[in-house]
Amino acid sequence: MSNVLIAGAGPAGLTAAYELSKLGLNPTVLEADDQVGGLSRTVNYRGYRFDIGGHRFFSKVPLINQLWEEMLREDFLVRPRLSRIYYRQKYFDYPLKAANALAGLGPIEAMLIGLSYTKARMFPQADETNFEQWVVNRFGERLYEIFFKTYTEKVWGIPCNEISADWAAQRIKNLSLREAIKNALFGSGRAADGQVITTLIDQFNYPRFGPGQMWERCKDLLASRGHETVQGVKVERLRHRHGKVECMYGTSSNGETVELGADHFISTMPLRELILALDPPPPEKVLQAANYLRYRDYLTVVLMVKREEIFPDNWIYIHAPEVKMGRIQNYKNWSPVMVPDSSRTSLGLEYFLWEKDEEWEWSQDRLIKLGIEECTRIGLIEPSEVEDGTVVRMKKAYPVYDQHYTESVDIIRNYLETFANLQTVGRNGLHRYNNQDHSMLTAVYAARNIVGEKNDVWSVNTEMEYHEEVRQSSTKGDRLTPQRVAPPETAEKVIEAAFAKLDPLAMGVALGVVASLVLFWATTVLLLKGGPVVGPTLGLLDNFFLGYSVTWSGAFWGLAQAAFGGFALGFLFAWLRNWSLTAYAFLVQRSAEAKERGDLLDKV
Amino acid sequence: MAHKNRETETLSKAVARIQAGVLAITCGLICGLGLFAMTAWLLVKGGSQVGQHLQLLGNYFIGYSVSWLGSVVGLIYGSLFGGLIGWGIGRVYNWVVTLRQGPEA
Repeated sequence: MSNVLIAGAGPAGLTAAYELSKLGLNPTVLEADDQVGGLSRTVNYRGYRFDIGGHRFFSKVPLINQLWEEMLREDFLVRPRLSRIYYRQKYFDYPLKAANALAGLGPIEAMLIGLSYTKARMFPQADETNFEQWVVNRFGERLYEIFFKTYTEKVWGIPCNEISADWAAQRIKNLSLREAIKNALFGSGRAADGQVITTLIDQFNYPRFGPGQMWERCKDLLASRGHETVQGVKVERLRHRHGKVECMYGTSSNGETVELGADHFISTMPLRELILALDPPPPEKVLQAANYLRYRDYLTVVLMVKREEIFPDNWIYIHAPEVKMGRIQNYKNWSPVMVPDSSRTSLGLEYFLWEKDEEWEWSQDRLIKLGIEECTRIGLIEPSEVEDGTVVRMKKAYPVYDQHYTESVDIIRNYLETFANLQTVGRNGLHRYNNQDHSMLTAVYAARNIVGEKNDVWSVNTEMEYHEEVRQSSTKGDRLTPQRVAPPETAEKVIEAAFAKLDPLAMGVALGVVASLVLFWATTVLLLKGGPVVGPTLGLLDNFFLGYSVTWSGAFWGLAQAAFGGFALGFLFAWLRNWSLTAYAFLVQRSAEAKERGDLLDKV
Repeated sequence: MAHKNRETETLSKAVARIQAGVLAITCGLICGLGLFAMTAWLLVKGGSQVGQHLQLLGNYFIGYSVSWLGSVVGLIYGSLFGGLIGWGIGRVYNWVVTLRQGPEA
């Protein structure tokens, strides 16, 4: 039985271990923290539970949904979603609703937004390499300034024009014409197994005791199968030789050095840390690429407030530039049991920072004071209502997609692929801003690669459910095995055939040839039959074909004119048919893309 | 992104080929049934000179007349003639498309 060592007990690390245990292998997980779940853990502070950010559970990948259900069973709740944007002392529904936005912004601003949107659609910027250009092209300058710029820059800490457009493209599905048409014709709300998918916009799944419950349970399941999750050990070094990792070295919480060997290794460590931990070190070029990678850090100030209800939302986006916080979570609206006493509310004020920022170093008391001040400033609470507070810091919460990250990731990826027994998975492990479900999927792929499958973990991203979903096979006994869904070739072919254009020139020639031959034949038949008056009725065609008559010369003259007339008719028919088809396809695509962009902020 | 753009480009640049056989059947049915219906309609309407213009088709379709028997003959002729036209359009169209685009993949 192969031994597999996994660095990191976040969703990817634990999922890999869980999958390996199902495959009959022997995984061991090493985790630096004293709690499992990574970014998806739930902190329990004096009975108040809170997330590191909000984690809605939603996936179009059936395998992941099945894993969630398998682990949580009846503790997997369906929760209603309500979120708004706070801007200019007003709350705006999010996803944006026209009437609500109009009422909040006023008719003049609404008109200016409309004009700026029209301008952006009619004269889009040709260069679309950064996030600002991407959003402005789709929403217009004013909507971008009001609803996207401030918040995005708070989250990422860099100007929108320095964020790669790739990031938006990965998070926001930019439907191809083919996909849009397919969705319009066959519906888009289904997973690969045909299961109907509900939209994240209205509701979502959530574990009763927060997302950490899932990972605690996963750890317990692993333990019940004899697989250890070693907590408090930070992996610091990976020794390798001849293209194979031999062992991982770490330091335990009591300062002891831990050395563990295995046949296979899976890392969920941030890509930069992994490269810097390799012993012997990789070539200079790879080290340099690793050092180029940047991560955004995250800090939550949690305030316990003596009030039963403060606001009805799950979370509020704070676009107001006068406060530093980017988002406020109301944990009891995610699950009622997140607070120990229903007469109390716990708010999570989210600050997105760099480790080098001054606020990152602030004391807990100072940060709590800042949180109370900011909540008071926007009118949410009175300072006297706050009875307790705490702070949670999370380093490297978000991999940054700046203009240079792809080059660095490619260099690192090429280097790591030279190792026969090392795989890297998860959000930071791939330096990809994946949601939890896709991070888990990379882990499942990695686990299955160890038993001989050939899955590309780097291919998993937010768009993949549309072409690479996996589903359970019902044909191989009890064990669940992945099976790639065959591309819906029939639908593809139908769409391609239905939307293929007619060649106007060819249609013109075809109609011209046939029409001229028919008229020539009709004329010559009458001429050959003869009679006192030949073809008086057919001769009436001279009303249309000037100079035509039922004579031998008329037959040739008619042939030429029918060829011309037929050509014009055929060309026009094909052109009009193509034009209306293109117009239809364009409308379908626009409508599908607009639908996809409806919850853009959720994906920032 | 590049993959999607290529896909969209492929779809928007795809040129249709015509199934000549299918077009022949379609045109044949339209012409055959059309001639049958026109003949039958004139017969039902009746009058002193029934279908004096339509019966000129007898110049081309030997045996055709504006009569009930003629309508059946017209159905057969119309189908054959329409089928030939449809097939001709399809074949010529595909031939020109092949000349311009190369053979179908």
